[in-house]
Amino acid sequence: MNREIIVSNFARRPVRTGVSIVAVATEVALILLIVGLVVGINTETGERTAGVGADIMFQPPGASVFLGLNSAVMPVEVGDLLAGVDGVEAVAPIVTQFNTQGGFDVVYGIEPQSFDAVSGGFRFIEGRMFQSPEEIVIDDLYAEAKGLGVGDGLVLLNHSFTVAGVVDNGKGARLYLDLAAAQEMSGNPGNVSLFFVRLDDADAVYAMQETLEERFLTYHAVPMRDLVSIMANTSLPALDAFLTLVVAVAVTIGALVIFLSMYTTISERTREIGILRSMGASKGFVVALVLQETVWLCLAGVVLGLAASFAIVAAVPSFFPTLQLMITGEWIVRAGLLAVASGLVGAVYPSIRAAGQDPVEALAYE
Amino acid sequence: MSVLLEVVDVVKTYTVGTVAVEALRGVNLSVEPGEMVAVMGPSGCGKSSLMHVLGAMTRPTSGRVLIDGVNVAEMGDGARTAFRRDKVGFVFQKFNLLPTLTARANVELARRIHGSHRDPEADERVEQVLDLLRIRDLMDRRPVELSGGEQQRVAIARAVVKHPSLILADEPTGNLDSKNSEIVLNMFRELNRRMAQTIIIVTHNPDLASRVDRVIEMMDGRIVRDGRRAPAEIAESARRAGQ
Repeated sequence: MNREIIVSNFARRPVRTGVSIVAVATEVALILLIVGLVVGINTETGERTAGVGADIMFQPPGASVFLGLNSAVMPVEVGDLLAGVDGVEAVAPIVTQFNTQGGFDVVYGIEPQSFDAVSGGFRFIEGRMFQSPEEIVIDDLYAEAKGLGVGDGLVLLNHSFTVAGVVDNGKGARLYLDLAAAQEMSGNPGNVSLFFVRLDDADAVYAMQETLEERFLTYHAVPMRDLVSIMANTSLPALDAFLTLVVAVAVTIGALVIFLSMYTTISERTREIGILRSMGASKGFVVALVLQETVWLCLAGVVLGLAASFAIVAAVPSFFPTLQLMITGEWIVRAGLLAVASGLVGAVYPSIRAAGQDPVEALAYE
Repeated sequence: MSVLLEVVDVVKTYTVGTVAVEALRGVNLSVEPGEMVAVMGPSGCGKSSLMHVLGAMTRPTSGRVLIDGVNVAEMGDGARTAFRRDKVGFVFQKFNLLPTLTARANVELARRIHGSHRDPEADERVEQVLDLLRIRDLMDRRPVELSGGEQQRVAIARAVVKHPSLILADEPTGNLDSKNSEIVLNMFRELNRRMAQTIIIVTHNPDLASRVDRVIEMMDGRIVRDGRRAPAEIAESARRAGQ
């Protein structure tokens, strides 16, 4: 019976119902897409870094697994010490640079020979490896996103480069330039950001991690096979605060829209509530009716929000090839619960106001 | 004879802004089970206020209102709500059906609130009421698809199906033409006669006086006349209503 009342009310006020559902859907989509963007970037970056093919990422003290955030450096000679450890097959020094010109990209400064030894080498789609500090190699997704090909110019980190080659994506960065050039640009000649280490026996990675961290106290040896999960679970204070803020704004908007929607509907239905009260409907009955209506609105909004989010996720690669959005089951549940909870919070006052109406006055309402 | 309803020295004062308005000024009244009573009087005489007090919609400022021996005047909101649910059926001038629901759903809603929607005996009573009010074929329509008289008959059914001790009707023919008024009044008479339903009707309609057991006249918040009709006269009215 309550469902019949609720459904008939929705049908009687289609615009209000539609706007409320769209508002909740927007709340859900906003949460899922913002979180999905962060999770997607983290995961994709982790997968790409792990895709280098190394067994261990060796970093100086204080370094983050988020390579774009690192200012920590170490002497390139550390690589020689690493190469001398039993069980190490190859070592590749890397300088990471974070480019914000025309996007947000991590740039690797590499030595082609050592990088090939660790990673197994690039597969060139066109062109070749850079042969001077003014040349750069880019991956296919970056080339597609920016409309670049071999021979095209590219301004990066306030320097002009020419694209020498386009390679398959998935080897750490999307942009690769000469190690010495990168050291020069970062003002750290003779220093590197990290080393990728390849082992003779990949299964000995955890033993090697222990060995390296004992030998190089305060340095970090990160097993690459764990990198994706480490990055997904590593919190960044500013990013966490940003996400919390976005979720809070979305939830507040959802609650306010539902509040307004239910407040107006309660005002419109004052006489109906008076009728219910005159028939002996308790305050609890009226509150439950309003809250049930809210839950149905929110559930419809959640479904629409999910559909919209998945549609956007499916459409994004066509417009932004380097962008990866990842909607996780955990956040689907969280966004759904937040949407329903915010709706219920927004509906509490209107429902209590409805239930508290004097039946005589409510029946006299025109 | 037992007493269903006893009103003792009831005063009801409303405050409008800073002005206190005495709607009821010491009303005394008793109604026996199965009686059909009309409360008449000019606008503003306190008829509707008396109806709201009798129906536990509001508390009197002072005095006692005993229905089935229970003093409604002392009840809190929750108890009065439960009392309305279990003991009182309202019929309003403007019908007050929920516009989004069918006639059937409006009636079922009353049963659901009452808690008798799963009672097979109550189902039988609903069938009797629908037949008596001749609305069985109208039950799948929404209020907007019904005439005023039909809506009022559905509203009566909604009030009656939960088998209340008391039906309170506030100007039930006020929005009806003479033909539909006649039909609705006859329905009340039938309900009273066949189901021994106690009914109190607030009305301006002078035709009603000839169809009820008793006419109470009010003036300035007081009962100024309380007249019972002779049993033979009542029987004749009932006979005419049944024709």
